[in-house]
Amino acid sequence: MLLEVENLDVRHGRTHAVKALSFGVGADEIVTVLGSNGAGKTSLLRALQGLTPTSGGRVVFAGEDITKLSPPQRLRRGLALVPEGRQIAISLTVHENLLMGVYCRDDGDIARDIKRIYDRFPNLGARRDMSASVLSGGEQQMLAIGRALLARPRLMMLDEPSLGLSPLLVERLFDLIVEIHRDGLAILLVEQNTQMALEIAGRGIVMELGRAALEGAAADLRDDERLAAAYLGDGHS
Amino acid sequence: MTNATAIGAPMKSITTKALVVVVIAAVFALAIALGGRVIAQQIVSGLMLGAIYLTVAVAFTLTIGVLNFLNFTIPSLFMLTGMIAWGLREKGLLGFAGGWAWLVALIAGVVVATAASLVVERFTFRYLKTRHGDATEHAIPLVSSLGFLLIFEHLVILTLGSESQRFSVPFKADIHLFGLVIGAPQLVSLGCALLVVAALTFVLKHTRMGRALRTIAENPEIASLLGVEVTRVVPVLFLLTGLLCGLAAALFTVNYGDVSPFMGDHVGSKAIAAMVLGGIGSIWGAILGGLVVGLTETLSIHFFGGDSVEMIIWGLLLIVIIVRPRGLFGAVAVGKGKL
Repeated sequence: MLLEVENLDVRHGRTHAVKALSFGVGADEIVTVLGSNGAGKTSLLRALQGLTPTSGGRVVFAGEDITKLSPPQRLRRGLALVPEGRQIAISLTVHENLLMGVYCRDDGDIARDIKRIYDRFPNLGARRDMSASVLSGGEQQMLAIGRALLARPRLMMLDEPSLGLSPLLVERLFDLIVEIHRDGLAILLVEQNTQMALEIAGRGIVMELGRAALEGAAADLRDDERLAAAYLGDGHS
Repeated sequence: MTNATAIGAPMKSITTKALVVVVIAAVFALAIALGGRVIAQQIVSGLMLGAIYLTVAVAFTLTIGVLNFLNFTIPSLFMLTGMIAWGLREKGLLGFAGGWAWLVALIAGVVVATAASLVVERFTFRYLKTRHGDATEHAIPLVSSLGFLLIFEHLVILTLGSESQRFSVPFKADIHLFGLVIGAPQLVSLGCALLVVAALTFVLKHTRMGRALRTIAENPEIASLLGVEVTRVVPVLFLLTGLLCGLAAALFTVNYGDVSPFMGDHVGSKAIAAMVLGGIGSIWGAILGGLVVGLTETLSIHFFGGDSVEMIIWGLLLIVIIVRPRGLFGAVAVGKGKL
């Protein structure tokens, strides 16, 4: 396993957001974490990246215990998070956002890699020197993902990337995630769009009140009646 | 969509900013036209004083823009430079006097102020483990920086006394131009201040460190996710703060020849007024604000006497923030995406 989570506990004051959660993500896997609002999915990803401290358990990445490392240290080891709400820097230009993506690198391939991002997302290239605030929601998500790719992670965690995107863009986004995965990245995907997430993922975990309520192969979860009752009920066919 | 900010992002409101500058320039041009040489002389003096204010205002802007933190130690860093420089000469600690002793003493003062600023960073940010941008927790660095202001002031009073002292420089070179008297040190200070600020603007806009600082200014968490060790970048800001205050104080000391343990309070409050006037978080705003406050001060003294200065400056400030709450050059979104 590339990422191993053992008995992870996360508390925010009195809220016990993640309770003794254990799971793993293999180097060639897409794993999706599902669950209703407040189930602890975002708290989990934030704790895995080091943005919020853990109150118990261990996080092991590529064989190394990273539980005490800062977010930048985790990034340098190959763990990247694309947070909820895209979080691009709107006071920077599109190009400057991408330059921030390579902030953690000091090799010579930077210019080439940035060019590849522009090739992949021509819309970003067209707005290279404009404030990132002029981008549409979909373009902002492309920028956020492109920027995270530039750090050359081995595992990319995405927190509800489809939030607020039109159905067409959601389709393209999921294609992109599959593409990134095919290029050799492991993916840990938190999603509200259960159906799409289970389609591209190999395995899924359903969180409920901070615990893993259900865990298994994505195909099985798609057919699982308990999941359908608890989670897929509304708004999903 | 949110408007672009003052630096870095393309300036959408560039015409508004140009307008502000033109209007201010027109007001002073009118003053010169009506008042002739006497007023012109006041304006020259005001610009020189403004150079001091704007340098300190930029120091305030940096920490408030990036850390959302009003650094109250700034006046004491300013004062430390002057008092240390005077103390070193007075107590004969330099080992020599005359010649370039004044310059060596001032440089030593700047070094001490910068070191003091880094000490403040340790105690206000690092040891207190402050989470940047947290609304409740940023009161803590504010209060501890106020503590440092008082500690530094009283350390200086204890060791060097509370009297105002004379710091003389062995030259007096006035330049006479179109019948105006321009002090050479004053001209140098205006040049220095503008040069340093221009360099700072370049660093913020075009370097890796500058981009990191601007990203922290907008959202420290994004910066951290992109690999910026925020706790390692923060000392750079305090270093710059110390250098800017030291430079301003060195120029002030050479220009006016007076130092006292309270010299920073006066300049600090004017610099805060300048920063707010120009627009919190905008470096060019701080520059404009500094010049406007300097000019307003000299002209107030000329027309209404010394006692009117504070009333007029703070009155002007209140009017500006009522009419234009974000200040002359400020970004629309106060609190986020500054610098």
